[in-house]
Amino acid sequence: MSAVADLFRPLLGARCLTDEDSLKRYGVDWTKVWAPAPSAVLLPESTEEVQAIVRLANEHRIALVPSGGRTGLSAAAVAADGEVVVAFDRMNKVLDFSPFDRAVTVQPGVITQQLQEFAEQQGLFYPVDFASAGSSNIGGNIGTNAGGIKVIRYGMTRDWITGLKVVTGKGELLDLNKGLAKNATGYDFRHLMIGSEGTLGFVVEATVKLARQPDNLTVLVLGAPGFREVMRILHAFQSKIDLTAFEFFSDKAMSHVLAHGVARPFDGEAPFYCLLEFEGSSDGVMNDAMALFEDCVEKGWVLDGVMSQSLTQASQLWQLRERISESISIYTPYKNDISVTVAKVPDFVEEVDAIVQANYPDFEIVWFGHIGDGNMHLNILKPADLPKEEFFARCNNVSKWVFEIVEKYNGSISAEHGVGRTKKAYLGYSRSPEEIALMKAVKAAFDPNGIMNPGKIFDL
Amino acid sequence: MKVLVPIKRVVDYNVKVRVKADNSGVELANVKMAMNPFCEIAVEEAVRLKEKGVVTEIVAVTIGSKAAQEQLRTAMALGADRSILIETEEDAQPLAIAKALKAIVEKEQPQLVILGKQAIDGDNSQTGQMLAALTGMGQGTFASEVVVDGDKVKVTREVDGGFQTVELKLPAVITTDLRLNEPRYASLPNIMKAKKKPLDTVSAADLGVDFAPRTKTLKVEAPAARSAGIKVASVEELVSKLKNEAKVI
Ligand SMILES: Cc1cc2nc3c(=O)[nH]c(=O)nc-3n(C[C@H](O)[C@H](O)[C@H](O)COP(=O)(O)OP(=O)(O)OC[C@H]3O[C@@H](n4cnc5c(N)ncnc54)[C@H](O)[C@@H]3O)c2cc1C
Ligand SMILES: Cc1cc2nc3c(=O)[nH]c(=O)nc-3n(C[C@H](O)[C@H](O)[C@H](O)COP(=O)(O)OP(=O)(O)OC[C@H]3O[C@@H](n4cnc5c(N)ncnc54)[C@H](O)[C@@H]3O)c2cc1C
Repeated sequence: MSAVADLFRPLLGARCLTDEDSLKRYGVDWTKVWAPAPSAVLLPESTEEVQAIVRLANEHRIALVPSGGRTGLSAAAVAADGEVVVAFDRMNKVLDFSPFDRAVTVQPGVITQQLQEFAEQQGLFYPVDFASAGSSNIGGNIGTNAGGIKVIRYGMTRDWITGLKVVTGKGELLDLNKGLAKNATGYDFRHLMIGSEGTLGFVVEATVKLARQPDNLTVLVLGAPGFREVMRILHAFQSKIDLTAFEFFSDKAMSHVLAHGVARPFDGEAPFYCLLEFEGSSDGVMNDAMALFEDCVEKGWVLDGVMSQSLTQASQLWQLRERISESISIYTPYKNDISVTVAKVPDFVEEVDAIVQANYPDFEIVWFGHIGDGNMHLNILKPADLPKEEFFARCNNVSKWVFEIVEKYNGSISAEHGVGRTKKAYLGYSRSPEEIALMKAVKAAFDPNGIMNPGKIFDL
Repeated sequence: MKVLVPIKRVVDYNVKVRVKADNSGVELANVKMAMNPFCEIAVEEAVRLKEKGVVTEIVAVTIGSKAAQEQLRTAMALGADRSILIETEEDAQPLAIAKALKAIVEKEQPQLVILGKQAIDGDNSQTGQMLAALTGMGQGTFASEVVVDGDKVKVTREVDGGFQTVELKLPAVITTDLRLNEPRYASLPNIMKAKKKPLDTVSAADLGVDFAPRTKTLKVEAPAARSAGIKVASVEELVSKLKNEAKVI
């Protein structure tokens, strides 16, 4: 154990951590399923140091785990087998800002929220946003190709990265795409790196494009009589308005979040709710939204609804969606993040509901998610009288059924949280054997000795 | 009985205000404006009194530019029956506002005037008190509970370290504190109905009120900058950061 640390200490001195606290803290992400057991934690301060670490690791065949904010939900940043964690806490600077390119170059340890705030200070906007943005960092977001609540309008992390500097598993330094908007020179390795969960190399610098600030973001929360109506509402609004978000949650999710102290949007109840956000930048848009609402009510798709009258109310209405996770966390929920194409969502949800209810009628299913992207978060609450082990054993069956249905619908077993360790065994439900073989070939090209985050996504 | 609810258009509470480069005030160009949060509470209280059958008519009033019609429409979407815009391009100060409201009170003869305890732009907390003095009505400020009983109203006031209950003869002026109620959201059907409710415009000059400012702002400064906070993942991380980074334990 400490022999490994001794290898790196001459390089990093006090920035090679081996104390119990640090090993425990840096060895886990948000999943906390596997007990952390890294043999050391390294805090490099420069690209050269990262390269030196990789060279040493190759020489001694030591497994490295790139570590961001460790808010990941797939155990991709977990070090449970004596790996060496490489964390980017000390590489957290904004390096350059180009107003003409509307682009900022950052080190990987910059926290997502800091990037958002930096953009705001420039009068611009970094649109990738989600509940963990206060702790996750850009390196981690690139590692998982993070999505979040504004994907319907702005896309995923992938859509905002115009340049990457990468130290591969071999130790080479690649300068990928160099911030260019157009670059027709063969394979774009940048996009291979994004979403590779630290299995190909280290991101040591990223150039990120920024958008103009959205104007007067306005939120509607609508109640709908059924799931199919939710999809009709989405379709109706998208025909006229560029939505910046379209989220849905079930009445069960609503009742938990209300019990958690969030204020009710309107008096009546509905089986399903959706939250729409758009730029209320002109009277024209506002009138369109009103007309669409009226039309949806007339057609019986909407039961009732409210509209924010201020940014303050908009953020209060967002609480209805954003606080669902914490409001159900006391029920030790089983969680799954899956996607299908938007058109298939209602049938998919119906089928999952049916199979779970038929087998485990005492399971409470709570659905919510970024439904405008076909992305659902499936949550199942543990019945109070069921022991934890028994619950999770049954949930393993649920996973299998859900993934079989995902496969049938040509969906994804992981919409935006990655594969890591938690979904490794199920990768075959979404990716073919040929694809997985190619992934391994790609990994071998970038990381011939297999030192980069081994055991994540797939086993070699 | 009729209740008058004066409201104010201010910078949205969620906007990070920026001081103008010349320190003469805060940046207002292209900044999102909204109803002052304490005014929302005032509207909500009036609507609840109407739902209880105590109040029969709610009139919202504001002093400001044409743009403030937006906030009057919101008040009507929340339940006000009609509204009045006293139009001025002047940045009216509390005394002028109170005088203009007095003119409206004389015309409308409300039994209750419910206002926010302060507006979050100037933070003056003067308008309600001045209006009470100018009209000779009783005042119950910083209300956390309002109970109308015949020709009287009991107002529970939030004071340092506790509560004080006062009884006022109607007509009276009430200013709202944060805990009086939780304002509702405007429902979409009501927003649509509000478009058809009457909104009268009176020019400030017609009321014979002198809007010339009595005080002059010398300088506006931003508070000293703080570095951004972060969220930690666990108690261990917090302890470790306090120990190794903040070095406070
Ligand atoms: C409450 C909550 C809500 C969330 N909501 C969303 C959501 O809406 N959408 C969404 O997409 N995700 C969401 N997540 C998941 C998570 O926040 C994201 O996956 C995020 O991108 C992880 O970033 P991180 O910095 O914490 O990365 P980590 O968890 O530390 O690492 C993630 C992966 O990136 C790799 N990595 C880290 N840094 C580097 C680097 N410099 N070079 C190469 N590889 C690196 C790691 O090895 C690992 O494989 C949520 C998480 C929580 C806890
Ligand atoms: C007047 C003019 C203006 C142009 N303006 C632009 C412009 O503004 N922007 C721009 O980007 N380009 C422009 N081009 C270039 C050209 O039109 C584009 O590159 C276009 O995408 C080529 O399409 P094509 O079908 O003609 O492909 P081809 O020239 O036939 O082939 C292009 C490449 O694609 C491969 N390929 C073709 N079909 C397949 C397939 N089914 N599977 C795998 N590989 C395949 C070929 O092997 C070749 O490598 C312009 C060309 C002209 C003549």
